[in-house]
Amino acid sequence: MRSIPRDPAYSRFQKRFIPASVIYVGAIGLASLLIPDDAKASSLTIGIALLPGLACIAMIWAMARWLVEMDDEYLRLIEIKKALMATGIALAIAATWGLLELYTDVPKLPVFMIFPIWCGGLAVAQLWIRVSDK
Amino acid sequence: MKNRLKVLRAERDWSQQDLADALSVSRQSVNAIETGKYDPSLPLAFRISDLFEHPIEEIFLRD
Repeated sequence: MRSIPRDPAYSRFQKRFIPASVIYVGAIGLASLLIPDDAKASSLTIGIALLPGLACIAMIWAMARWLVEMDDEYLRLIEIKKALMATGIALAIAATWGLLELYTDVPKLPVFMIFPIWCGGLAVAQLWIRVSDK
Repeated sequence: MKNRLKVLRAERDWSQQDLADALSVSRQSVNAIETGKYDPSLPLAFRISDLFEHPIEEIFLRD
């Protein structure tokens, strides 16, 4: 069966995305370990704190390249639908939680959480498409 | 858009996977086209037309 996992574009995506995600997790751990909570902004702290952000950019780039390089137009449509749904979910959460933060004393949602929320949105979209396809 | 893909495939005794392989697309794509969930692009429609040796309008029909 020829499906996404055997697609050469998917293999290239994995080769790009997996190292970037490993670096992302490692860089988060490194930054948490090396930078104290009350550290002032310096070239060193900014440099360390930027590492996970750069890995995050690499993950986004890998996903964008995958969408561009996919040969199968129907599977590409499904992936684009998922990305749009995930974007909608992330924007909805950011907007509604932001307003809650503005008018109430709910805990602050760190901005860096938007990307993991978007990835969670991808999983929700995958489930939605699978269920609605039956 | 309706289509006669399933009939044409059955006439040749091809599975969805056989057709998918011949068109270099996924089986999911063939299934989505056959069931009317997805209308193929013009280039893919032409590939289907070439494969079955039928004009596009004999394979894909207006609703």
